Amino acid sequence: MTEHDHPHDPIQASEELSEFEVLERAVRELAIEKGLFSEEDHRRFSEWAESIGPSGGSRMVAKAWTDPEFKARLLADGTEASKEVGIDWLDPTGVGTPSDYTFFYVLENTPTVHNVIVCTLCSCYPRPVLGMSPDWYRTPNYRRRLVRWPREVLAEFGLHFGPDVEVRVHDSNQKSRFMVMPMRPDGTDGWTEEQLAAIVTRDTMIGVAVPQADWTASEPPTGPKVDA
Amino acid sequence: MTGEPYAVLLDAVGPASAAAVVPQPDRRPEPWESSMQATCECLSWRGTLDNLERRHAEDELGETTYRSVPAHAKSAVVTAHQLMDRGAFTPDELRARMDAIRARLRRA
Repeated sequence: MTEHDHPHDPIQASEELSEFEVLERAVRELAIEKGLFSEEDHRRFSEWAESIGPSGGSRMVAKAWTDPEFKARLLADGTEASKEVGIDWLDPTGVGTPSDYTFFYVLENTPTVHNVIVCTLCSCYPRPVLGMSPDWYRTPNYRRRLVRWPREVLAEFGLHFGPDVEVRVHDSNQKSRFMVMPMRPDGTDGWTEEQLAAIVTRDTMIGVAVPQADWTASEPPTGPKVDA
Repeated sequence: MTGEPYAVLLDAVGPASAAAVVPQPDRRPEPWESSMQATCECLSWRGTLDNLERRHAEDELGETTYRSVPAHAKSAVVTAHQLMDRGAFTPDELRARMDAIRARLRRA
């Protein structure tokens, strides 16, 4: 143990233990005792679920950009088309997380329509294709304000649209999950699906950013210092 | 699937509240919710309770028997209900385990 040079409050026994948390633990412990699954099963699933990233969604968008027939299938039935890139929303041993089983809709951005997703009720998110949601997606600030003032919130992410672009906010719920299919940017002619998938970042599929040919989110951003 | 509520679950839910079924924009997800999801995945994966069946039960029981349960907690309540329906454990076992967990987690 190392000595700290700053004080900590002692860790207290929880005074805010909810009955739902007690119920969750009780169900899990009894299921394990009865041999329905093991502690290791639970730990492995949690570890795996938390490590899913947005690569599945990126692959789907890149494939749709280069394959019009796949794009049509993806827009018609997102859940079914997901299987073509190896994501089965009902198969826990595959790449999906089936507790999110629901209707999955892919929303196509166009020059006159920009889509963005939110969950005002709680934090519903298309985890099988995008992984765990970013912290800000779950904040009351984003959830409450996006549905009321979407242009203002998008501007805070650096997205500015004129009056000729309609901004559509899609509110997820227990039965419906959404993902944005952004527009393919200029400067990507002749790129492979793999190259294209790299620029389809998480934020572009939430709808708070648009893909750019020079940004993959795989390395820190770079640029000159500001003269101030 | 039975539509009758289990007393042990109604006790956990507490009194019905209109606030339970409307959006709660200031609520932040709690860690136990991820753990509950993993439990549901394991139950489906290992064959005890299929996820799609559970989802349908959440819709059905969540809008009737357990209408007062907040959306984020319906999985916990309905999964417990279905496991008791199937005889995986009894209401008495669940109540006793919940008592033991309260004592364990609130231990100073």
